[in-house]
Amino acid sequence: MRGIQGWALGVLLAVALFVGAGCSLGGDDDDNGAAATDTGEGEAGGSQEGGGSLLQEVIDRGTLRCGVNDSVPGFGFTGEAGDPEGFDIDFCRAVAAAVLGDAEAVEFTVLTAEQRFTALQAGEVDVLIRNTTWTSSRDGTEGARFLHTTFYDNQRMMVPADSGVQSLEDLDGETICVLAGTTTELNLETVFQARGIAYEPLAFEETDPLQEAFIQGRCGAWTSDASQLAGIRSNWPEGQGGPEALVILEENMSKEPLGPLVRDGDDDWADAVNWAVISTIAAEELGVNSGNVQEMLESEDPEVLRLLGQPAPAEAGGTPEPFDAGLGLPADFAVQVIEQVGNYGEIYDRHVGPDTPLELERGFNALWTDGGLQYAPPYR
Amino acid sequence: MTAAAPTTARKPPLWRNVRVLRFVLQAVFLLAVGGLLLYLVDNVVGNLERLGIPTGFGYLDQPAGFAIPDSDFSSAQSLGDALLVGVQNTLKVSLLGIVLATLLGVAIGVARLSTNWLVRRAAALYVETFRNIPVLVIILFWYLGVVLRLPPIGDAFEISGVTVISNRGLVVPWFDQVGGALLFALIALFGLGAAAAVWAWRGRRFDRTGQPHRRLLWAGGTLLVLLAIGFFATGSPWAVETPERGERSTTGGFRLSPEYAALLIGLALYTASHIAEIVRGSILAVARGQTEAANALGLSGFQRLRLVVLPQAFRISVPPIANQYLNLMKNSSLGIAISYYELTKITRVSIAQQAPAVQAILLLMAIYLLISLAIALVTNLVNRRLSLKGRR
Amino acid sequence: MATQIDALEPLPLPEGPPERRLPPRQWIRENLFGSIFDSVLTVVFGAFLAWAAYRIGKFVFVDADWEIIRRNLTTLMVGSFPRTELWRVWAALFVLAASLGFGAGAVGAQRRREVAEGRAEPAPKGVAARRLAPVVILVSVLLWFSGSLENLLLVLAIAAVGAVSNVVGRRTPRRLERYVPLLVLAGILIAFLIIVAFGGIKWNDWGGFMLTIFLAVGGILLSFPVGVLLALGRRSSLPAVRIVCTAYIELIRGVPLVALLFMGVFMLGFFLPEGVARPDTVVRVLVALVMFTSAYVAEIVRGGLQSVPAAQVEAAQALGLSPYRTTRQIVLPQALRSVIPGLVGQFISLYKDTSLVFIVGLADLLTISENITKQPDFLAQGLIVETLVFASFIYWTGSYWMSRESQRLERRLGLGER
Repeated sequence: MRGIQGWALGVLLAVALFVGAGCSLGGDDDDNGAAATDTGEGEAGGSQEGGGSLLQEVIDRGTLRCGVNDSVPGFGFTGEAGDPEGFDIDFCRAVAAAVLGDAEAVEFTVLTAEQRFTALQAGEVDVLIRNTTWTSSRDGTEGARFLHTTFYDNQRMMVPADSGVQSLEDLDGETICVLAGTTTELNLETVFQARGIAYEPLAFEETDPLQEAFIQGRCGAWTSDASQLAGIRSNWPEGQGGPEALVILEENMSKEPLGPLVRDGDDDWADAVNWAVISTIAAEELGVNSGNVQEMLESEDPEVLRLLGQPAPAEAGGTPEPFDAGLGLPADFAVQVIEQVGNYGEIYDRHVGPDTPLELERGFNALWTDGGLQYAPPYR
Repeated sequence: MTAAAPTTARKPPLWRNVRVLRFVLQAVFLLAVGGLLLYLVDNVVGNLERLGIPTGFGYLDQPAGFAIPDSDFSSAQSLGDALLVGVQNTLKVSLLGIVLATLLGVAIGVARLSTNWLVRRAAALYVETFRNIPVLVIILFWYLGVVLRLPPIGDAFEISGVTVISNRGLVVPWFDQVGGALLFALIALFGLGAAAAVWAWRGRRFDRTGQPHRRLLWAGGTLLVLLAIGFFATGSPWAVETPERGERSTTGGFRLSPEYAALLIGLALYTASHIAEIVRGSILAVARGQTEAANALGLSGFQRLRLVVLPQAFRISVPPIANQYLNLMKNSSLGIAISYYELTKITRVSIAQQAPAVQAILLLMAIYLLISLAIALVTNLVNRRLSLKGRR
Repeated sequence: MATQIDALEPLPLPEGPPERRLPPRQWIRENLFGSIFDSVLTVVFGAFLAWAAYRIGKFVFVDADWEIIRRNLTTLMVGSFPRTELWRVWAALFVLAASLGFGAGAVGAQRRREVAEGRAEPAPKGVAARRLAPVVILVSVLLWFSGSLENLLLVLAIAAVGAVSNVVGRRTPRRLERYVPLLVLAGILIAFLIIVAFGGIKWNDWGGFMLTIFLAVGGILLSFPVGVLLALGRRSSLPAVRIVCTAYIELIRGVPLVALLFMGVFMLGFFLPEGVARPDTVVRVLVALVMFTSAYVAEIVRGGLQSVPAAQVEAAQALGLSPYRTTRQIVLPQALRSVIPGLVGQFISLYKDTSLVFIVGLADLLTISENITKQPDFLAQGLIVETLVFASFIYWTGSYWMSRESQRLERRLGLGER
């Protein structure tokens, strides 16, 4: 029948064109990314090291692929415009600014707690900055390498204020909601088993059903990292009693150092990312922020000049050429990071600080000079 | 006919010899497929080794590290045991789902052909609604929109001693073993045997005399009587446990978790709409002459349905309904979205707790395949027994 | 032809007594209160339905807070598609309206020719309006939520384009009829290219309802050739080919789609050698969907192949046609014609099954419906019911409309055959 032949031919043609269009246009390399790498590539001369490294691949590609979360207020969530925003997101942008010179040359991939390690292992993302806790087994068996901790967190328990629960022991026999596939789940089991407290776990894949279950009283307590709980509590609507209707118990159930991860076996890439992150802390220590970075280029302090990739006078122990630590990054990477994203303090205050809805004090995340744990190894 | 000269059998050249061609084509095809598979396996093993991830199935012996609600599973037990619990849960929801879906589906399918206009329309409305909405949406809606909105445990709806309904579950009285049940089990087995014998006897009597056999009543009655005798003779080894409401959960009785309930309801409603369509189609496919003949014989509508139409429709409908059963079993994997700990969910959790993803997912697919084959086998047997001898 | 007792389409009923037009009172008496049992049923069901209608109506029009849908309509429709490039989507819709309208017009012309030749029955009046009703309802609801005059004008313009191209399509001369499908498909491709090419947005940035449609259409288009090959392979006389194809089909059909999605999302990276670029999530999901759907399409096509009488093949062989030409020119055309309803059914299933990407976190309609309830303004207000109802409505109208069209198509093809 004529009609059928026409249809069959048409379908096959359509499929061929579809696949062709998809392959050439839907692949990873596309027109959009190429335009973005023009800024800041000028001093890229000394950066082409590490032939087979991911560092070179990212530079060639022109975009950084970052694995992130989209459901944690303050750290990784979808903003009004539909783009990801948050503390972790800013560190992604910092790495992009350091390696590629453009903080916006990032491709964000939202990953669930289960997917994140396999995605990193399989090479779908270059770096995972997704409020992930650094543990030995993850270092060992997940084929991943943890870098400098960006946020020192603890696991805590959140309960309704009117439940009268004051300590973990009061939760005997309770149903407790937790996000599946996280260390939170394991810690809950360990801590409660050790203390002999009986409970029923309810582990959800996604935060939404978990939240719904918590609101409806399906579970009487919600455990997660304190930072996440703070974010959730801050957003609690007035209709449900507002933030005052929830109480986060003070007991720390575990240490949760959160930081970026890269794949095992690629030291060049790991070093580059690590120091991109550390530069933000170093900048805060030295008093450099996005507002004054241009003036600081003229500073007298040789440490500042080294960090910012400026030649330092020989008398002060500097070098006539910009300091190159051999990381494969452009000499002025720190300038790009601080200018386009900010130093650690700015990033912190912007997303999770006391003036944000999360209201998290610096606490353990203050600089070591202020009694906290954030300490940058010297850049020299 | 003159005697023909003996012809020498000459084989066609190799490149035109069909047998050779067939062999060569198959060899090439197998080489291609085999080569592709080997290449993929090689890649997988290479990648796993490069990342330092174990490549065997030894991870199944490691302790799970997570607890499973609604079961006795402890986090120290192995991942393999966890998977078994998962299979159990999958079967629990699939089997009960199949039963409910069939009951509901047949009822609605028959209702779609009712003489009552309102009933007909209502059934059509049901089918058109549930057939066109994705099953995941239905399940999510039941869980988030209905089951979770049941009163919290503090305000649970209670009928004292009978049931407690809250968004932490529906609890009903259940049996609790208080004494030795072995003797009772033996008596139960004996009872089943006796019931089967009664069934056969009544069947033979029917064949001989033509009197209604009522064998279901007879066999069922025999079984019940023997069970009752056994129960009291062994000193009532089972007592009824009534649910009690505690501050945070209920004690006693049999608890249906909200996740299980939502998954079950969602699956049953969705599959029932498909089964209703199949039933309707198969009833319509029964030749109209049968209906007319039944009417001519003076059978009531109900008798006509039960004695003439349904048995024939049943035979036609078995393959498509079997397909729906398989679909229901496969759709039970959606329990992962509402945190019901069936097989897929447990696989997911174990991957997150450092089980290697490749092996875990392959194992998951293998287990589902086994369950599918089992269900397909049973339904094929039923189909074969029902098919008319001499046809097909 | 022997009565196929295991066929499942309802046999066309023989001509019964002519329909009696009953006056309302008598109709009620007969259809609703025919017997005591009937009356009880009517009362019970009537009460139940009235109560249900009241509750649903109250919810939809009074209780529900639809603000969340209103504010997030764009996100629900296109995900995180850059808002500055939305003109591409509108342009694509114009092109689609033009090509689909044209195709519908050409089909209508063909139909009218068939009616004139007495080969088909004319459609009753008002059918066209009834056919488009679900789409019209869906678009109206969406427009109501968007509340924007600009959108209304755009939609009206698109409808106008569709109507005009319909009229043009009706004028298609007979000899150009065979090119109509190609034109329609070309139109779809152009629409796709408008969004993707020339600095456009590649498909891994698509989201929402647009992504759902893309996955469904892409899935069925790509799985069609694979499915045909598998079906032919399963019926092959070469045992090796037959076994491999059968194994693949049975394997895929025994496994839930969720497991295949996991395989695509978690495992695909491991199957590729080290240097190759990793495909992004949408591509993986598409691969998993194609693998899944092709097995079902293979079974449908196999049914079609079996329905072609062996006599056709024998006649072709008697005429000296090679196996390849037999398949291509004799068997496939007849087989594919009879499987079109089955294929449409599979497409409808795929359209609904795309909702499962929720489980792997891909931002399709269902995922976004859940995500938007987390926004600070809408958090913890139980708005998940509203969003799920909205998502259900969209799935329902699409699926219902397509299944009605499929039934019409089936009837049409069936008529032609007799």
